Amino acid sequence: MVVSRLIAKLQRYEGWFGVAAGLLIMVGLYMGLVTSSPDYYQGEVVRIMYIHVPAAQSAMFAYTVLFGGSLWYLWKRDPVVDNVSHAAAGIGIFFTLIALITGSIWAKPTWNTWWTWDPRLISFAIMLLILVGYLMLRTFLEDKEKEATYAAILAIVGFIDLPIIHFSVEWWRTLHQPLSISTRGVAIARDMLIPLLLMSIGFYLLFAYMLMVRTQMLYLQHLLEAKRGRMLSKVHL
Amino acid sequence: MKWFYIRWGGVLIIAAIIGVLGIQRYYRDVTAISPDRLLHDQPTQTVRVLGRVEAGSIVKEGEGGPVAFQLSGQGATVSVRYLGEASENLRDLKTLVMVGKWNPTTHIFEAEKTSLMPNYGFVTAAYLISLLPMGIFLFNMERKVALLYILIKEEKVYQPEEPLENR
Repeated sequence: MVVSRLIAKLQRYEGWFGVAAGLLIMVGLYMGLVTSSPDYYQGEVVRIMYIHVPAAQSAMFAYTVLFGGSLWYLWKRDPVVDNVSHAAAGIGIFFTLIALITGSIWAKPTWNTWWTWDPRLISFAIMLLILVGYLMLRTFLEDKEKEATYAAILAIVGFIDLPIIHFSVEWWRTLHQPLSISTRGVAIARDMLIPLLLMSIGFYLLFAYMLMVRTQMLYLQHLLEAKRGRMLSKVHL
Repeated sequence: MKWFYIRWGGVLIIAAIIGVLGIQRYYRDVTAISPDRLLHDQPTQTVRVLGRVEAGSIVKEGEGGPVAFQLSGQGATVSVRYLGEASENLRDLKTLVMVGKWNPTTHIFEAEKTSLMPNYGFVTAAYLISLLPMGIFLFNMERKVALLYILIKEEKVYQPEEPLENR
């Protein structure tokens, strides 16, 4: 139950995560929208990057949390960690949708199309479908333990999509631009890199804050259901 | 719930202030006027003029020197003298934004900077589509948590269960 204790400890600082995320995002937005320079080829449209990239990173991070939580649940059967995974999936869907929509808006002026069957885009859309499937699975079964087990297995199998998303721009010919920050170096101007980093860290913190709030929400829902169930069973007795 | 609404009220006020500042900045620094408006208003302050470079009008005054050309838009044409750094974008039939001042004595627009035609519509759409739902999503989650706490408190489901032997 080490992870459960760690989660409980972290939740004490929930508010700080929210405040730090808010501040970093505000500074990042100011730098990204006002002080950073437009791109030589794309012009002002490049500013979509400061919301699109952090949203995509957070979506992938959410899936990584879901994957880690699912593995831990199958090993230790810790319901707290299952709750965290369940919460991460919901938030993951939200960030995936933001990344796909902002990417589509960015694609229109740069690629002259809202959508193209590109490996990066397809693999990202598959992640959305896996996450939607995960949440649907969690509503189908009556037995909560079976539900958590099957959902965890689905999340683990679906994790294969993450390396595909990451390396799709290197493995296949694609319209999507290659990695700007990799082991080969940083291929992005300094005045664009700083707001991008601030927004990315801000989004990670926002994700952590949302995760804590949503985990709490799911826990309280389960608690209420369980207690009401017990009360009802008492009445029937 | 009182503190919850106060907190979110604060967030809303901050968001509104940022929005107003953004709109102000947009109209002050980002929007551009057309050549016919420039000729009509003849403003004395620095302005941004959006127009298309007339084909065959570019005349370079020596290597690295000023560049003269005609900028047209909305049925009017204005003479421009560009004094800034050499730009690859400065070419025939290119739609550009020239930043500079109108000279009322020479009737020439003296530009110091050039930039591409801004396409802020996409940027604004991307940010609004992301940030507004994000705020609503977070608000709903926090509200649900606060309501669940109240519900649990009111229904007294936190009361210790009766031991089995007392049933």
